[in-house]
Amino acid sequence: MTMLGSYLTLAAVLFCLGLYGVLTKRNAIIVLLSIELMLSAVNLNLVAFAKYGINASLRGQVFSLFTMTVAAAEAAVGIAVLISLYRRRATVNVDEFNELRR
Amino acid sequence: MDIVFSQVAWLAPLFPLTAFAVLTAMGRGLGKAGAIVATAASLLSFVLALLIAAERLGDSAEDYTGRIEWLRAGGVVLHAGYEVTNLTALMLVIVTLVALLVNVYSLSYMKDDERISVFFAYVALFTASMLGLVLADNLLTLYVCWELVGVCSFLLIGFWFRKPEARAAAKKAFVVTRIGDLGLLIAILLLYWNMPNHALDYTSLYNVFHSQSEALSDSLTTLIALLIFLGAVGKSGQFPLHVWLPDAMEGPTPISALIHAATMVAAGVYLVARTFDVFEASPNALTVVALVGAFTAIFAAAIGLAQNDIKRVLAYSTVSQLGYMMLALGSGAAAAAMFHLFTHAFFKALLFLAAGSVIHAVHTQDIREMGGLGRRMKLTAWTFGIGALALSGVPPLSGFWSKDAVLAAALEKSPWLFAVAVVTALFTALYMARLFFLVFTGSSRGEAVVYVHAKESPAAMTVPLVILAVLTVAAGFVWTPWNEWLPGWLAGSGAGEEEAGAGGWNGVVVAASVAASLLGLLLGWLVYGRKGAAVSAAAAKAPGLVRILERKFYIDELYDIAFVRPLAVLGRALHVFDEVVVDGAVRLVGRSVQAAGKLNTRLLSGQLQTYGLAALAGAVILIVAIAGRRFW
Amino acid sequence: MFNNVNIEFTGEFFAFFLLAVCAIVGAVLAINFAKVVHMAVSLAFTFVSLAGLYVLLQAEFVAFVQVLLYVGAVTILMIFGIMMTKHQSEGSETGRPLLETLAAIGCLCLFGILFYAIRSASFPVPTGELPADNTMAIGKLLYSSYAIPFELVSVLLTVAFIGAVALAKREPEGGNGEGAEPAAENKPAPLSGEEGKTP
Repeated sequence: MTMLGSYLTLAAVLFCLGLYGVLTKRNAIIVLLSIELMLSAVNLNLVAFAKYGINASLRGQVFSLFTMTVAAAEAAVGIAVLISLYRRRATVNVDEFNELRR
Repeated sequence: MDIVFSQVAWLAPLFPLTAFAVLTAMGRGLGKAGAIVATAASLLSFVLALLIAAERLGDSAEDYTGRIEWLRAGGVVLHAGYEVTNLTALMLVIVTLVALLVNVYSLSYMKDDERISVFFAYVALFTASMLGLVLADNLLTLYVCWELVGVCSFLLIGFWFRKPEARAAAKKAFVVTRIGDLGLLIAILLLYWNMPNHALDYTSLYNVFHSQSEALSDSLTTLIALLIFLGAVGKSGQFPLHVWLPDAMEGPTPISALIHAATMVAAGVYLVARTFDVFEASPNALTVVALVGAFTAIFAAAIGLAQNDIKRVLAYSTVSQLGYMMLALGSGAAAAAMFHLFTHAFFKALLFLAAGSVIHAVHTQDIREMGGLGRRMKLTAWTFGIGALALSGVPPLSGFWSKDAVLAAALEKSPWLFAVAVVTALFTALYMARLFFLVFTGSSRGEAVVYVHAKESPAAMTVPLVILAVLTVAAGFVWTPWNEWLPGWLAGSGAGEEEAGAGGWNGVVVAASVAASLLGLLLGWLVYGRKGAAVSAAAAKAPGLVRILERKFYIDELYDIAFVRPLAVLGRALHVFDEVVVDGAVRLVGRSVQAAGKLNTRLLSGQLQTYGLAALAGAVILIVAIAGRRFW
Repeated sequence: MFNNVNIEFTGEFFAFFLLAVCAIVGAVLAINFAKVVHMAVSLAFTFVSLAGLYVLLQAEFVAFVQVLLYVGAVTILMIFGIMMTKHQSEGSETGRPLLETLAAIGCLCLFGILFYAIRSASFPVPTGELPADNTMAIGKLLYSSYAIPFELVSVLLTVAFIGAVALAKREPEGGNGEGAEPAAENKPAPLSGEEGKTP
């Protein structure tokens, strides 16, 4: 197994762990963090390909920078939404938010 | 001769139709004013009919036909049109006159009914449909009006729909006549398929069936004729579809007069007369018509002998007289049939309206509770008497002349039919005598209070009676041994003398007819008219026979057992089938959808993570399905 | 599965192995910890490990941003969020065995698929070399080839910032005050601080 394969496998592990967290954690903040973890796993892929891809270049790194920015924005808005929800419902438990049903 | 009025003959049905539209649009609020509108419309129609008839009386009046294209479907064109011939002119006069008199009469008779404007609207529509039927120049237009007449009779018989009997009678009338209508419809369809150019107008019919062209085979002609006759049987109350007509007495009495004299039942006879070309091409069909007519005549007359409801006696008398007309038609004498229809319209309308006057006065229809009314209601009694004599065929009233024409035609066809007709005449005289004597002479058998309060009806009711009485006396003179232009006139200007029907006057016929009617009247007087004669004298002497007659030969019971009960059982079975199988299937569908919905609501819990899990599962399955194809 | 593995135990591989273990351990711990703050901290550990991996991949600037952004900003933001909300019901995390089992199965399936794909893919031999001065090269690239996406991202950040402020702003009195109102005075601070660090 090449180094690239190792990096990709690591990213896959992290991605699946993040997914598991998203699907099972009750606390909405941890869910958000798990999403960040998934995004990081993807970033790892990008950076790994930047080095071990066919044409090693900085494009993958630039792209991962953009991804991080978007992730940061997502985290900020997500937290804001959470706080707003918390004000209304006095809870951050995901399973108590069932607005979609109504 | 100028034919200006015939050109506007289409106005005749339009007047009452407009009245109907106005009355329906204005609703019940119109009240009495609506009745006046309808009466005025019928007056206009009557005047127009008179003008047309006067015009037709000119020697060389041409038949006038006007038509418009009604429907065009592909290459098929259906026309709606009207045709004015001497026959239609005569029918127009009859229908409009009776309708007018009925309207006038109803102004008084129905004045306390809160739905009077509805009543007049129905009557107007009834008149309009009948006029349209008369004027129609082809069978299709006729069929449309034919059905309209059926609908109107349904509405009017069931006019007092709060009475269950009226509802049942209306339904019965509708259903029974539908059987006949179906025959007519099939006949029209057969004609449509087999006639050259799919023509359905009478002129084409005449051309096809008179030229001996081989367009239609003999058996097909007979079949068509019999099917048309089936329609006439239904509408004109011939055996075995006569059962609705007596029950139709549940409607208001003016309606009985209208149905029996001018519109509904006349339609059947008119239909046969109008399509007589078809019947003439098929001797077998003519024989059937004659046989059915003769049997109906004597059969209904016999039933009429034992009925106790004044209107029912008259109803069976109508059935019997219609049998006469059919007999005349079957004997090939269309003119005689139309003549009888013409005179019968007057005296039967007279009898019904007079009966309505009586009912109006004593509020019962049972003749066993009447008696002695002649002293209280002189005008009604006199006019009723004239009508009864005319119906019995006493010379020189109109019934005598027309009945003689029928009898002469029957004699030409077969002596047996003639014998039956003469016996029927005897019966007719007998039951009319019974009716008259029980109602108007002797002493009252009903409640004294009612009798004391019984008084002559108002002028609006008696004036039509008088007019009809005069006509009853006079109408017969249009066709007498010394005045034989009517058959030729009716057959149309183009027709020669050989088509002039049975015109010969026969001493035997006259003698038999007069003898029969006088004998019948005498018998009636002996049994019912003499002082102290018991109402149920006949019943005491021959209880079994009277019972059978009272029960109308158990025809209704027979139909009940033969058709109604099995159909009811079938209906119940179908109902169960419907409840269990059809509804069950429907419920199954509904329940399963409900269950699916409930399942879905449980799936759609609003839990984001469940959704995410489902999405993950979907993605995995998708990847496996797409990428995994390579390995299988 | 590892039969064709011929890994040279170089220093690079050793470092990778170490950092990978750190990252996975951090993530697994984050999932298994009971307290929310512990979870956040262990995730921060994972993010730091990832930064180390970026360094290993010759992406020094990305590693720097990773530390700055994820460890410095996102995790701190989350911790602020944790502090601003109450978490008394943390003991009942194990209430949904069915969901957890299914999620575990699903994630394992996904990982199996991914792993199979990675294993069966044949990666070509890389050509070319990354520039030595990573940060400068990225800067040049960002301001030349990627100028438009760069500006778009800055717009996105501005919008996200305004949106976050608008969302988290205290609702006007009487609107709906049924929920418990935790102290939110210092809430805009982390947001604006976060914004300042991003580019």
